[in-house]
Amino acid sequence: LRRAARRAAALAAAALLLSPRAKAALGPRYGGDLTVAVLTVPSAPDPRVPRGAAESLIALLVHERLLRLDAAGEPRAGLAHDWLGSADGREWVLRLAPEATFHDGAPVAPADVVRSLRTFLRGPSIAADRLADTLDGGAAFRAERSDELPGVAVSGAEVVLRFREPVAAPLAPLAAPSAAIVSAAGVAAGPFVPAATVPGRRLALTAFGAHVRGRPLLDRVSLVTAARADELETEVLTRRAGLVVGAGAWGAPAATLLLALDPARAPFAAAERRASVAEALARADLARRVLPGAERPAGLLPPALWPAPPSESEAVRAVPPRAGTPVSLLVSAEVPPLLSQRVMAYLDELGLDATVTAAPPDRAVASGGDARLFLWSPEVPEPELALRELAALGPAVPGVAEALAAAAREREPARRYALLQDAERALRAAAVLVPVAVVPIAAHAHPRLHGLAADRAGRLLLEDAWLEP
Amino acid sequence: LSRIGLRGRLLAGFALLAVPPILLLGFSSAALLARGSQRAVEQRLEAALRSAQDELDRRRQAAAEQAERMLSDELPKTEVAANPLELAGKLAAASGLDVLEVLDAEGRVISSSHWPAGFGFLDRDVVFPGQDAYRLETVKAGHGGVERLAVTAASRGRWREQDVLVRAGWLVDEDFAAQLSALMGLDLALRDQTHGRWIARPGDALHGWLSPALREAGVGQVALGSETYRYAARAVVPGLWLVAALPRETAEAVATDIRRLSVALAVATLVAALVGAVLLSGRIARPVRELAEGARRVAAGDLDAAVPVQTADEIGQLAESFNAMTADLRDSRERLLQAERVAAWREMARRLAHELKNPIFPIQLSIETLRRVLDQEQRGEPVSGKQFAALFRESSETIIDELGSLRKIIDEFSQFARMPRPQPAPTDVNALVEHTLTLHRARADGVAIETELGPDLPPANVDRDLLGRALGNLVANALEAMPDGGTLRVRTAAEPPGVSVQVEDTGPGLNEEQRTRLFTPYYTTKRGGTGLGLAIVQGIISDHGGRVQVRSEPGQGTTFTLLLPAAPVPKEAGAQ
Repeated sequence: LRRAARRAAALAAAALLLSPRAKAALGPRYGGDLTVAVLTVPSAPDPRVPRGAAESLIALLVHERLLRLDAAGEPRAGLAHDWLGSADGREWVLRLAPEATFHDGAPVAPADVVRSLRTFLRGPSIAADRLADTLDGGAAFRAERSDELPGVAVSGAEVVLRFREPVAAPLAPLAAPSAAIVSAAGVAAGPFVPAATVPGRRLALTAFGAHVRGRPLLDRVSLVTAARADELETEVLTRRAGLVVGAGAWGAPAATLLLALDPARAPFAAAERRASVAEALARADLARRVLPGAERPAGLLPPALWPAPPSESEAVRAVPPRAGTPVSLLVSAEVPPLLSQRVMAYLDELGLDATVTAAPPDRAVASGGDARLFLWSPEVPEPELALRELAALGPAVPGVAEALAAAAREREPARRYALLQDAERALRAAAVLVPVAVVPIAAHAHPRLHGLAADRAGRLLLEDAWLEP
Repeated sequence: LSRIGLRGRLLAGFALLAVPPILLLGFSSAALLARGSQRAVEQRLEAALRSAQDELDRRRQAAAEQAERMLSDELPKTEVAANPLELAGKLAAASGLDVLEVLDAEGRVISSSHWPAGFGFLDRDVVFPGQDAYRLETVKAGHGGVERLAVTAASRGRWREQDVLVRAGWLVDEDFAAQLSALMGLDLALRDQTHGRWIARPGDALHGWLSPALREAGVGQVALGSETYRYAARAVVPGLWLVAALPRETAEAVATDIRRLSVALAVATLVAALVGAVLLSGRIARPVRELAEGARRVAAGDLDAAVPVQTADEIGQLAESFNAMTADLRDSRERLLQAERVAAWREMARRLAHELKNPIFPIQLSIETLRRVLDQEQRGEPVSGKQFAALFRESSETIIDELGSLRKIIDEFSQFARMPRPQPAPTDVNALVEHTLTLHRARADGVAIETELGPDLPPANVDRDLLGRALGNLVANALEAMPDGGTLRVRTAAEPPGVSVQVEDTGPGLNEEQRTRLFTPYYTTKRGGTGLGLAIVQGIISDHGGRVQVRSEPGQGTTFTLLLPAAPVPKEAGAQ
């Protein structure tokens, strides 16, 4: 509220003193309707693991979590005002912000938090898996062997989390979008309120004045589908949209372009064949010539999650596949077509006869095809949770689960980092997930749009965005 | 055939004359049309193939010019730092080319307009044997690439101090097939036999032709889906064919229309001929039929029958003659009736005079006798009372007797004149016969009466009293004909559609003159007869709609046969 008051006062003074052009140059202002063109408008903005840039955007617009992670991966206030850990690190008390309310005006109560966390813990999120593994009674509850969840309790106006043992980054899973808090009626508490929906085509959101961090600057955000994927960017150029999500490159590299090779399918059953693919991809060339703004990947995780670049993994002898081997390649619609075509050209050069099929982001990430090419960013921008997520994208790789479990228990940062690197190297060596490039967020913003930001996971944030008049 | 009427025969004749030529004309024109249509389809398909081949040749020639121009004019103008991803694309867009690629001496792609992602890699496009102008180029499509047929030409030269090959051309894809198909109004496609695929507009039926065995020999026919197609093929290069196809229905649409029109005309002509035949035969046959009907009516006694005269031809003359003939017959009948009436009146006057004269004469004699006695008394010649009384009694008795005869004569005439109308009702004829014979048995002195009454005789529709009188007359006549005895035999029998009654006597019989005049009123062969008995019988039977027949020969007796109508069957019985 203080922020809002300050901005209002500044805007009023500027309005009195300056010309319209100068007023725009002054900075943030309230008001404005932003149209966002996306490939597909998600059907229902329920809390869930977002797949693709559009779902991630909506998740953060509509929902609010107890905590967020800042650029350094440290927890920041969400609906929880502050949090305190016990000396042994097994109990954490989260105090809810007194001004936290849902879109219908009802205050966010500890009971809402407990109910939402119970739903989250039984959901498909990898973050939920990690939290359930460490919470008292969490594993039995997640496995539905018990309805009791002693690890999550209410104490007056506070929520108490009890862990089986002290763990590193205990509260990080609470920053997952699927851990958003909703009321018993399913009402969210995010910065924007869903106002009107045309299923699959349009979703209109209006600013939530009672949001826990204050009213967002924009009055209204409308998500609309573009007529064609390859026309997304023209939506901005023709001023039909102020922002497109799903095409273009915005900001610093924040997502990993992954080529997943399915070891359960014949072309890539042998590690040597997969290694040959990984070796054939000239990553620097891709980053330099095909995708402006992209970078050569240092590892599987986006660079923002690593304090320092990971070391090279142990090389596996590469054996090229048999010439003419047919390969089906499923490509996420968010991947730039030229990049996908270049990957196809690499596969052709290797002697593989690739057939490309485009698919929605969620399907491309999940399964299907001999190989899958998709943009990946973690649900929770925390290295251990991110690596857990990556490990779940393919079959179990020896040593990875053990290293991640050890990293969860290890609270000393340097040792923990080493364990995570071990896990990452093991994953990379298996060549099931081949990092192709680290790419900027697939978005394109009109110059009139200011204040656009992204979190550590490469998700766009419109909370402080504003439109130049 | 003899049962077929005149009109039917006329119709058959017309049909035999009209149908074969019409059918012959129809079949021969259909055959000619089919042959002409087939030739037109062949010419159309071959023309389409020639045009498509010409277009491909034109594109190849233009591609060669473009490649040369790119090498000599356009590429030297490009900046050294130009992005290879965009270089060829921009040049191709500016020149309207679908395909433009620059390869180095090793065949690696320096820049490609249609597959930019392939830069730095060896060009591995598939080339059709015999002529490398036709290539399967990898072309960007969505997130990947697809192989598309292209007609290209290459030019070699130096660029940026290295040997390069510039290849330019256009895609020969679905759009190409669609454009030519629309232009030529048929399905035009290319068949890549080597890879087993069609390059045809989307939805083209040729996509469904999985394994075509193509050859350059005339027009073939193939069933695709629910339609049959006529097609022709032409090899562009070995393994690559141009195919033109037309749905058979479309190919033969004009011929089909003309054939339908011919059939319609033939049918219309046939119908018109038949209608004309019907009308004409009716016109010819109607007067003949009317004449036949008139003749039938005349034969049945209707002399008023007349036939309308509608034409002046032979049929009209025949009708006039017929009408004249019936008019003559009517006149003759009138005259005959008139003569018969005069004769009958004369006969009646004669009989009446004769009958009246017979009793009048005794009466006159008796009265004159009495006057003579009275005159004798007045002259003083007295007659004894006894004599006078005897004379008076005799004379008066004579007068009374003769007056009785006169009354009888008058009664019979009166009865004949006042014959009542019959009131027919179902009547048991056997019972009536028995009753009548019972009344006359007393008078049958020396005559044996026999009956042969038919069993299960149906009731006759007659007036019981009148038929009884007729039977009585016949029985009385028969008995009177056998004064010396004989046999009276009465028979009844069912005689469809009625009942017959025979009264047979063994009397002297009748000669021909007697038989002829038997039923003439007042004709009699008996002394004291009025000659009305049989006339009454005939009148009664005629009034019932029956007939009287007589069979008699002198010395052979006489047999009268009455043919009576049967009583109508009750409706209930009929319904059952």
